[in-house]
Amino acid sequence: MSELPPTTSVKRWFVTTNHKDIGILYTITALFFLLFGGVLALLIRLQLWDPTSQILSGLAYNEAVTAHGLIMVFWFLSPFGFGFANYFVPLQIGADDLAFPRLNALSYWMYLFSGVLLGISFFQGGTLDAGWTMYAPLNIPMYTPSIGSTGAVLAVAVFTIGITASTVNFLTSIHHSRAEGMGIMDMPMFTWSILATAWMMLFAFAALLAVGLILASDRVLGSVYFSATEGGSLLWGHLFWFFGHPEVYIVFFPALGVMLELFQTFSGRRLVGRKWVIISICLISVQSFLVWMHHMFLTTINLEIKTLMMATTIGISLPFDLLVFSLIYTLMKGRIQFTTPFLFAFGALLLFILGGITGVFLGAIVLDYEFRGTYWVVAHFHYVMFGGATALFGGAYYWFPKVTGKMYDELLGKIHFVIFFISFNMVYFSMFLGWETPRRVFEYNPEFQIFHQFGTIGAFILGFSFFIMFYNFAKSYVSGEPAGDNPWDYSRTAEWAVSSPPPLENWPNRPSYASGKLEFVKDYVPDGGPAVKADGDGNAATDGGDTHEDHISKYPHWDKHPSHASIWPFALSLALGVMMLGLSGFSESLSFAVGESLAATTMTVSNPVYPILVVVGLVGLVWSGVKWGLEDFYAPPSEFAERWPFEGVEKVKLGMWFFLASDVIVFGAFLSAAIFVRYNAGWMTWEPLTESLPGLINTFVLITSSFTVILALVFAHRKSRQGVLASLGATIALGFTFLAIKMWEWHHEIFEVGVRLAQNPYGDPVQASIYYVTTGLHGIHVVIGLVIAIFLFVRTYQGHYLNDERPIEYFGLYWHFVDIVWVFIFPLFYLF
Amino acid sequence: MIDSLILQQGSDWRAQAEVFDEIFFVFLALGTLVGTIVVAYTLWNVYKYRDDGSEPKEDFDAPEVGELPTGQGGPKAKKLFLSFGLSAIVVISLVVYAYGILLYVEDGPDANDDNIEITVEGYQYGWDYEYPNGHSETGEMIVPADTRIDITVTSRDVWHNFGSSELRIKSDAIPGDTNTNWFSVSSEEVQAQGGEATYTVECFELCGPGHSAMGGQITVIPEDEWEEWYEGTGNESNVEGAANVNGAAYGGVTA
Repeated sequence: MSELPPTTSVKRWFVTTNHKDIGILYTITALFFLLFGGVLALLIRLQLWDPTSQILSGLAYNEAVTAHGLIMVFWFLSPFGFGFANYFVPLQIGADDLAFPRLNALSYWMYLFSGVLLGISFFQGGTLDAGWTMYAPLNIPMYTPSIGSTGAVLAVAVFTIGITASTVNFLTSIHHSRAEGMGIMDMPMFTWSILATAWMMLFAFAALLAVGLILASDRVLGSVYFSATEGGSLLWGHLFWFFGHPEVYIVFFPALGVMLELFQTFSGRRLVGRKWVIISICLISVQSFLVWMHHMFLTTINLEIKTLMMATTIGISLPFDLLVFSLIYTLMKGRIQFTTPFLFAFGALLLFILGGITGVFLGAIVLDYEFRGTYWVVAHFHYVMFGGATALFGGAYYWFPKVTGKMYDELLGKIHFVIFFISFNMVYFSMFLGWETPRRVFEYNPEFQIFHQFGTIGAFILGFSFFIMFYNFAKSYVSGEPAGDNPWDYSRTAEWAVSSPPPLENWPNRPSYASGKLEFVKDYVPDGGPAVKADGDGNAATDGGDTHEDHISKYPHWDKHPSHASIWPFALSLALGVMMLGLSGFSESLSFAVGESLAATTMTVSNPVYPILVVVGLVGLVWSGVKWGLEDFYAPPSEFAERWPFEGVEKVKLGMWFFLASDVIVFGAFLSAAIFVRYNAGWMTWEPLTESLPGLINTFVLITSSFTVILALVFAHRKSRQGVLASLGATIALGFTFLAIKMWEWHHEIFEVGVRLAQNPYGDPVQASIYYVTTGLHGIHVVIGLVIAIFLFVRTYQGHYLNDERPIEYFGLYWHFVDIVWVFIFPLFYLF
Repeated sequence: MIDSLILQQGSDWRAQAEVFDEIFFVFLALGTLVGTIVVAYTLWNVYKYRDDGSEPKEDFDAPEVGELPTGQGGPKAKKLFLSFGLSAIVVISLVVYAYGILLYVEDGPDANDDNIEITVEGYQYGWDYEYPNGHSETGEMIVPADTRIDITVTSRDVWHNFGSSELRIKSDAIPGDTNTNWFSVSSEEVQAQGGEATYTVECFELCGPGHSAMGGQITVIPEDEWEEWYEGTGNESNVEGAANVNGAAYGGVTA
């Protein structure tokens, strides 16, 4: 643990784990990507100026289209909303920080480095040019051969891993750290929308991670999922849109949350039908996973399924209707103040209404048949997603005084809004007028040229309008009027009850809503309390009593302060970024000639740079992971907190459960892919590629290892170091046995039978890919489990975990999960 | 409006473009109406309840920092549900109406012996058409008027989308998969266009650097002319398009 340097020090920004610092980092980085994606958008608009001449080649145009979509959806919209979430969710729920501060920093750095990877991909022979939807099989190297294409896919994968970490963090924080007296229905609406967003992210991004890993495997290792004519294209469609539809709400909900807050603050009214708004938000979150095939109405899915998806699509528009009406009625009888934040939030509502109505058009299948692949779709989703993001700019103005302590310039803000709103409609409404133009096409029917030229002019004005905002913020930060703690007349949420900017640990004393409104309770004495703490909770822990199920009891206090600095999130993310950069060019610079046996297999290295990067990254990953594990980082859960519905669950365990829930979807997607492709190939035409015996033995090996992990936990409970070492050792031995059998099996299949990643003597090559990739993913989980087990083993040898066996317990959860996955893999690949 | 649901009057059928124009008009009219009402109502209220600096009304209860939300329902919830109910009725009736038309579009007019089945295969960057007799054309599909054309769409490389904006037809062309669609052009329409109706074909799914220029053409000619042309194709495929009955006129499709 190191001390957190002051904000003026550059070092602080690399080591900080404080949620407010990271919120600022997110926001600034996201704004950078807004510019990046915006410049690409302007290139697209320039190309559309004249349907006959072009400034970019077809390839470069496609790269611009792809990167614009990826950057705006992934690297701008969500992180911009989550910058605010980082800063304000802990403040709104009365927490000191997010549940896992280092994990939060890790999410940010992975986000940043994934963006850097995407930037680098432009210089690796050109970035991906398959559209942000990356439809198969255009997304495989046969059609998009550049190294940069692989780099962009891996960038998305790194981004997704960071998102998963962030999701686990937010879910745990909101469910576990709410101040006393703040029931889940009492949470501010911004926090509510972030909670719903995080739940959707947990499952949606797991699907994206799975499909990204499969694509990375196709691109880097050479498996043949997406080139398979046995449903490979549709497999991508289903998995991508299973993620892609919830993603629309994932980017919209943070903006909705801002609208819900700002409408209240600037009208002086409380939200109308609050309970129903919350119910609507929850309903949408669930329904969002049931509509994905409406993006695929023109594929070969049958009429019954189309009808079902049409019904669910219309179903999901209904809670949105309610949200819109609630927003409108909230304003009535209020005292509406037309400040810049309100104008942006209100503008967002108007844009969203238009986006919503045009979306109903798309829900009618006959109309969708004609709108598919046209600018109607482009206009619609810009009205919904960018229209939603309009509220986020309102959020930026709204919270600027809180973050900086200075007031922004109101006049400049209003000018920004007017120019923004007019030019927004110039760009996107003109798309409705010229809707018959196919998407991602620059040689279009000259009839529509007038609309596209109008849109291009609007786009440049729109781009310019942001510089007014940047200037406003920069000028106000330097020389703005002091804003005070609460510059707004009718604000309600707790961030306005503390100073601007808030202190490092947010609160003067412990915040509590037990009396029905926010009060600061003096029962927590950070400096004067060591004696009290040690006598109370500290002893309870060291006595080893199991009776004390208090959430804080396992955390030794004594004279410890919460930690706020760690370099390892940065180091770990950097290492992962380096490794992924290496992987992007891996298949280009290494080639294997498979011989008769492993010994006869030769490897040719044509370019050592990429393989070296992989090795350096991997070493860095393990090293910084170990340093992370060894670091003495203290982030205790709050003593008094509302935790519905997870009252009895300890903080880290809750996080572990959330992580495993997302991993269930990852494996679920891999297994679904296996089943989907096999179904398309003809279920009965496939036989298992391998003997069932090795698989059966491995099943027993893994189940036994689950048992030894339980033994380790029992021994840790009894404070028997020998017992823990023996049972952990047995687990490790069983894990290696599993891997050895697996390696024998693979060796046998590869060299004696001739089943290789893209080669299958029995039939469809994709069957071999599915077998290696699915069991390989499981194998990687086993390897990661073994690394952790060895780490725990060494630490146990050094005398840890006997007073606090939680790490062993949480490792056990993971290990059981990996074993359970095997129970699903075994029948699918070895029996039937 | 309900009358228009009777799609097939006797043996008459309606082209997809006609069906689309009707439903698009209905949606556009209702969408504009609802949108205008909602936006106008909202703007009016925002203006009406602006903070003009006057004293707050008696029933104005300003919120305070740190308060917990109260009154989860609120007196305005009733109005909320009334508006919600109304909008739900509009949306659901629109979609039920559209669904009736979907069933027609899915099935198409009654099939009879005159149907012609053509296989459309997309590739980077163009379209191949194969006729029942094995003859194939590249770039241009020549079909007779007053006949239902059934197309089977697939791709030999990446995912494309075969579509003609004027005919209002569109189908995903997915490698390893076949999709079906139909269209039909009346002889009146062909006469109106001077004895030969042409429709542009475009690709509606990003398929690579040449996507923008991936075009084609559908040419509709009177039935008897078409019969004559089709007789002449025999079994030989004619990828270059040189044996077209009006070769010079049709062959020059620029891709």
